[in-house]
Amino acid sequence: MPTLINRLVFISFCILLFAACRSEQEAAALPREVDFNFHIRPILSNHCFTCHGPDESSRQAGLRLDTYEGATALLESGKQAIVPGHWKRSEAIRRIASEEAEVIMPPPDANNPVSERDLALLKKWIRQGAEWKDYWAFLPPDTAVYDPELSIDHFINAQLELQGLEAAPEADKRQLARRLSYLLTGLPPKSDLIEHYVNDDAPDAYEQLVDQLLASPDFGERWARHWMDLVRYAETKGHEFDYPVIGAWRYRDYLIRAFNQDLPYDQLIREHLAGDLLEQQRYDPETGHNESLIGTVFYNMGEGKHSPVDIRKEEADRIDNIIDVTTKTFQGLTLACARCHDHKFDPLPTADYYALYGIFESARFTYYPTNSGLQAQARVDSIETHKQAIRSLIAGAMPAHEGPQVLATSQQFNEPEGPAAGAVRVLADFRKGDHQGWMVRGEAFAAGNALGEPEFDPDTDQLRGFAAAKASSRFGGIGVQGTLRSPTFTIDHDYLTARVAGQNTTVRLIIDNFQLIQAPIHGELTQELNSPDMTTIRMNLSMWRGSKAYLELLNGKMWKNRQRHDHSVEPDAWLEAEYAFLHDSASVQELPKLNALKNTPLRKKDLDQWAKGQTDRETAAALNRELPRANLGPVRGPISGHRDSIRAIRDRLYAFTSFGGVSEGDAVFSPVFIRGNHLQVSEERLPHRYLTAFKELYPNFSEQGSGRLELANAIADPDNPLTARVMVNRLWHHLFGRGLVETVDNFGLQGKIPTHPALLDHLALRFIEEDWSIKAMIREIALSDAFRRSTAPSEMSKKKDPQNLWLQHFPIRRLEAEAIRDGILAVSGRLDTSRFGPSVAVHLTPFMQGRGRPWESGPLDGDGRRSIYQAVRRNFLPPMMLTFDFPVPFSTFGNRNVSNVPAQSLNLMNDPFVQEQAEVWAQQILDREATFEERLDGIYRKAFARPPTEAEIEKARSFFAEQAALYQEVETQERSDSTGLASQEVAPDTEPKDPQLQTWADFCQVIFNIKEFIFLL
Amino acid sequence: MSHKNCYTRREMLSLCKNGFGGLALFGLLGAQGCRPETDLVQKTGGLTLPHYPARAKSVIFLYMDGGVSQVDSFDPKPRLARENGQDPYRKFKVDATQFNNIGKILKSPWDFKQYGESGMWVSDLFPNIAKCVDDLALVRSMVSDFPEHTNANYFLHTGIGIQGRPSMGAWVNYGLGSENQDLPGYVVLDGGLIPPGGMDNFKNGFLPASYQASILRAGDQPLANINPLEVSPEIQQKKLALARKMDDSLIGKIGHEDQVAAAINNYELAFRMQSAVPELTDLAGESKSTHRLYGTDSPDPHTRGYAAQCLLARRLVERGVRFIELTCPRVAADRWDQHNDLKNGHERNAHAVDQPIAGLLQDLKQRGLLETTLVVFAGEFGRTPFAQGDNGRDHNPSAFSIWMAGGGVRGGTVYGQTDEYGYRVVDKPTTIHDLHATMLHLLGIHHEQLTFRFSGRDIRLTDVAGNVIRDILV
Repeated sequence: MPTLINRLVFISFCILLFAACRSEQEAAALPREVDFNFHIRPILSNHCFTCHGPDESSRQAGLRLDTYEGATALLESGKQAIVPGHWKRSEAIRRIASEEAEVIMPPPDANNPVSERDLALLKKWIRQGAEWKDYWAFLPPDTAVYDPELSIDHFINAQLELQGLEAAPEADKRQLARRLSYLLTGLPPKSDLIEHYVNDDAPDAYEQLVDQLLASPDFGERWARHWMDLVRYAETKGHEFDYPVIGAWRYRDYLIRAFNQDLPYDQLIREHLAGDLLEQQRYDPETGHNESLIGTVFYNMGEGKHSPVDIRKEEADRIDNIIDVTTKTFQGLTLACARCHDHKFDPLPTADYYALYGIFESARFTYYPTNSGLQAQARVDSIETHKQAIRSLIAGAMPAHEGPQVLATSQQFNEPEGPAAGAVRVLADFRKGDHQGWMVRGEAFAAGNALGEPEFDPDTDQLRGFAAAKASSRFGGIGVQGTLRSPTFTIDHDYLTARVAGQNTTVRLIIDNFQLIQAPIHGELTQELNSPDMTTIRMNLSMWRGSKAYLELLNGKMWKNRQRHDHSVEPDAWLEAEYAFLHDSASVQELPKLNALKNTPLRKKDLDQWAKGQTDRETAAALNRELPRANLGPVRGPISGHRDSIRAIRDRLYAFTSFGGVSEGDAVFSPVFIRGNHLQVSEERLPHRYLTAFKELYPNFSEQGSGRLELANAIADPDNPLTARVMVNRLWHHLFGRGLVETVDNFGLQGKIPTHPALLDHLALRFIEEDWSIKAMIREIALSDAFRRSTAPSEMSKKKDPQNLWLQHFPIRRLEAEAIRDGILAVSGRLDTSRFGPSVAVHLTPFMQGRGRPWESGPLDGDGRRSIYQAVRRNFLPPMMLTFDFPVPFSTFGNRNVSNVPAQSLNLMNDPFVQEQAEVWAQQILDREATFEERLDGIYRKAFARPPTEAEIEKARSFFAEQAALYQEVETQERSDSTGLASQEVAPDTEPKDPQLQTWADFCQVIFNIKEFIFLL
Repeated sequence: MSHKNCYTRREMLSLCKNGFGGLALFGLLGAQGCRPETDLVQKTGGLTLPHYPARAKSVIFLYMDGGVSQVDSFDPKPRLARENGQDPYRKFKVDATQFNNIGKILKSPWDFKQYGESGMWVSDLFPNIAKCVDDLALVRSMVSDFPEHTNANYFLHTGIGIQGRPSMGAWVNYGLGSENQDLPGYVVLDGGLIPPGGMDNFKNGFLPASYQASILRAGDQPLANINPLEVSPEIQQKKLALARKMDDSLIGKIGHEDQVAAAINNYELAFRMQSAVPELTDLAGESKSTHRLYGTDSPDPHTRGYAAQCLLARRLVERGVRFIELTCPRVAADRWDQHNDLKNGHERNAHAVDQPIAGLLQDLKQRGLLETTLVVFAGEFGRTPFAQGDNGRDHNPSAFSIWMAGGGVRGGTVYGQTDEYGYRVVDKPTTIHDLHATMLHLLGIHHEQLTFRFSGRDIRLTDVAGNVIRDILV
């Protein structure tokens, strides 16, 4: 563990290192003490690890330089690559320094020579004893040196002092307010806010401004969007037909709420990875809806292929994306690099990849009703209470015999007989009176097996009997969301047959977790049911023998065709099943009937048990036999009352809509795919566990279940050395435009080393100390002097630190796509600040073509809503957003590109949206009585948070004069054209615009095109 | 904007990442400061580009959306005629296909003839291209990894079968830059059909946005936002002049800042494009015989449309645009994806492109441009030798034909071989990576050395594979 002195030495060295980076000619002195992590490992990683690193498969000459043992081992040649203390005896140095083509390392064809300086560093490090250290990012931040009293500026200023740089002064108040407003809320500052701040001389005026912006609901809309870049947020699945990600926007709203409520970051992690498994589910205080479940939509944000020929490969790609995004987002690690071979640079073996693979393979994609939550639960409970009351009333009316209870303890069933042993495999026989170990999700099947449920005549609502045993959603679950799913099994027969009945409902076979079931290949695997009587359905599975699968009874409808693939529950949806089984012979039609029952009398105790909801087949039969003799007259009224209550509650329980998250399935343990090939796998199956690098922190997970909750806990653990560092670095990145670790998604060896390692660790520890409060961390950073500096670099800084790594001044930044568009709407007055809800359809231009194109275009101005509410369709992303570097949602993008392309200028010059907004703004200006100067003043304050200068007023004045003259000219021209032409010449279809309005619109559009508008200065 | 020295592209890219911007002035746009020719000598992966003398300066990629049937076009299989109507399962192992509606062995509805000095076989689908065979290098042994359009399209365009990777046109411009200051270096001529997978086939992926394709379409507005909406050019110019003045005074106030200065200068290119693009797309100045050669006067509207695109492609080559891709016209029978009614569908598609492509090859040759222009004709996969249903063909990634012409390719060559059914490759299997490696090679780029660091890896267009198909080169 590095000591404080080590750190200081390292820091001073970094300065030299960075100085050296700028110019190789500039010979920099070597550090007094060479640090393995910050000086040596980057050299070895960049020049040696490809052949002498952690990946065994590509290792040359049996030499590995990523461990001390490897580097100092006696080689076959009898030499030693590194001899601590003696660089002259170290073979590695001899080879690197050699000038002979056969000897030199790396070999000449690698084109990757070690610089003189790096060689000198290596020598010095060996002379100093060649101390090896674990990789910095995998070591926990040093709590011993943590001092909560220290401020951010303590660390930043220490660097500046060492560099001999003088910090820039504080920025102008108006600039600062604009910076703060855009960075915290993504919108320009509101006039009253800024004027109040500018005129407030109180010492805490700035702090108050920060707090106001943090408390603004706009905050969540800004920071949720940052997060959406990490989790490849999209509302469709791309590929051929761009099918929807069901309920994606609800996840977006969940994020906005989470950031606005300052949900602790560790909770956010747990909800993303295992929201469905948390003991303590979190509910939205306003709606009572379950929030934790929505977090798991995270898994469902990947791409989805239309009709893949190889669905195992499709699953492998889907899980690869989940591994990629999970490890980058939460850990800054590129574990997806270990899909085919051990990671070339980081200590991430392929086994780590497939241990996680098994965890994610164990999860099942699941539709959750959008109103899951406390109220829904209360309603379900209340239905159950009414049902109990009905049973009690009926029980009281039934003639019963006194006598011992005869609940059957051992029930005899005929096992089905087939043409040959093993030719039939029963997946479930619900006629036996239970759920047969199947998994219940949602409420439709929650009431359990139908056995003994009172059945009422649909016309007269009179009790007509008691139900036979079967799985059913008809008793309390009609029109209600839910599934009943089999355990995972291997398809080892050619056919699946099921005996089912239902209305507007679905039976699906899910193979390799593939749910985007569509014709032509897989169509048969989804069967829609509209048969009130029991019927037999069959699927031919011969194509999928050997695949893992589960059968799903889905209460509701799958809409599937080339335009849509989604799920809904109609009010009349119900489903029942007697059994399902696999078999080989096409002639097998059904399972044999169960054994006939003994005629047992209806005993009092059995009846009491039944009234409580527990029964058996004998009792149910006895109930039916005794029904004609029941004295129901007196209880009919009360039963009807309860039935009415149930109907009324159920009407409010309906959620026809759903969102797609995940739920627990059976534990699946993955083999290693040899070189990433799913058709060639290892014998061994890997236990669920977290990374080898953290094996002491996190031992193997339990063999029961998926391990997702344990994974979530390992990542959300305060002892995890990466989690807090990665997140505070992301926050820093969003505020300063560059992370302390510049490669925000990669803390591995190929990432950048931190500019301010001690500060990074300080912030990480502080973040945990503050209960993972994102707002508190943002607040602390925003309140620092470093954040408040002007953007003007000193001469010294320009010379010594042109990249501004030491933050002598605040960096100038271009706004993101969303902030530019939202800024335009905000100043034009068109911004509609309504929050949440379904996305506004994307506006389609003629350039947006292809399959899956929406039928209708959305409005040009997106209804004036903030950009976060614009639909993110993978195949039809909004062009303006893309032009300004909105990332294509396929992986984690913690650091957007900032490009400079002519399409950006063309957009602001010629895009109808921009011109329209300029007009909207101009109209608003003209609607109010004011002088020219007042109007100009208003424009400048809105757009730039400052009044115009004298010179600017002058420029504007002459622009208006010249532009008026031009419009005059055009008008004269048009008039002479039209009189010159034959009179039948049609008049232009639009009324000529008012030149005054047009000129103001021109001016407003010029404002959008000025760099001060799209940059933070 | 003034520059004391020229940065390498790689340095510029890293500066951009660090908020220093200015890329547009160097790479794509060439403008002031760094002279355009310096773009041609860029450092990538520590090496100087081009890595060796380039044979081709530009690429025209004729994308045959949906997958042309090899056994009906460039790979004659007499055995199919002999065994027409027989059960393929009795002949060979049949792989799962996307529609899994496997019919009988289906002979080609078209006759094949030999053409040119090389005697290359071409079917009656392409009577005009057939006349150019001595300029073509035909590869009959292509294989792909994916039987589904979307993945196969991403694979063909980006070297990886998933969304979000840089397209080959983006890689080429990243490596070589553009030679034209007024036009983007990577242009897709949208013939009416955007392939499955959408615009991501033409994107920059993780490369800077400057390298993404600009989509040109036929019609009044050939490029998004290229037409000013102002009632007169002067009115727009006045607006831009005011913006420029205000921007200049901003620079005066904040001091020179590369990123801001580059964004300001960007407007000049945008402004120039407003006139360069209409000039480019105006074909009125082309001679009558040129129009006839391409077929812009054809009675078939799809031939006319594709002819105009081919002519435009030549004009783009003349203007130094690096990479041009043409997508297919929207003929009545869908793209080349004939799951049924092969005869009708392939005939319509072939009729739309045959004359224009032949015209393009001849025109380039006459003008001496073919030598430095690589023309590639390729779909994302081939089709099955057995029917889908009665009269269609399903996807077949195990064998298909593509051809190249010009730019260092040896005309009249036939490379690779399929089995007697044209179902699988039996000799010289050639991958999409090999195709990309060859294209880059002809542009003077060593495919293993054109890399970009993303996600902790130096990523290439050719992933971790690819061999130059040397046997078809001059």
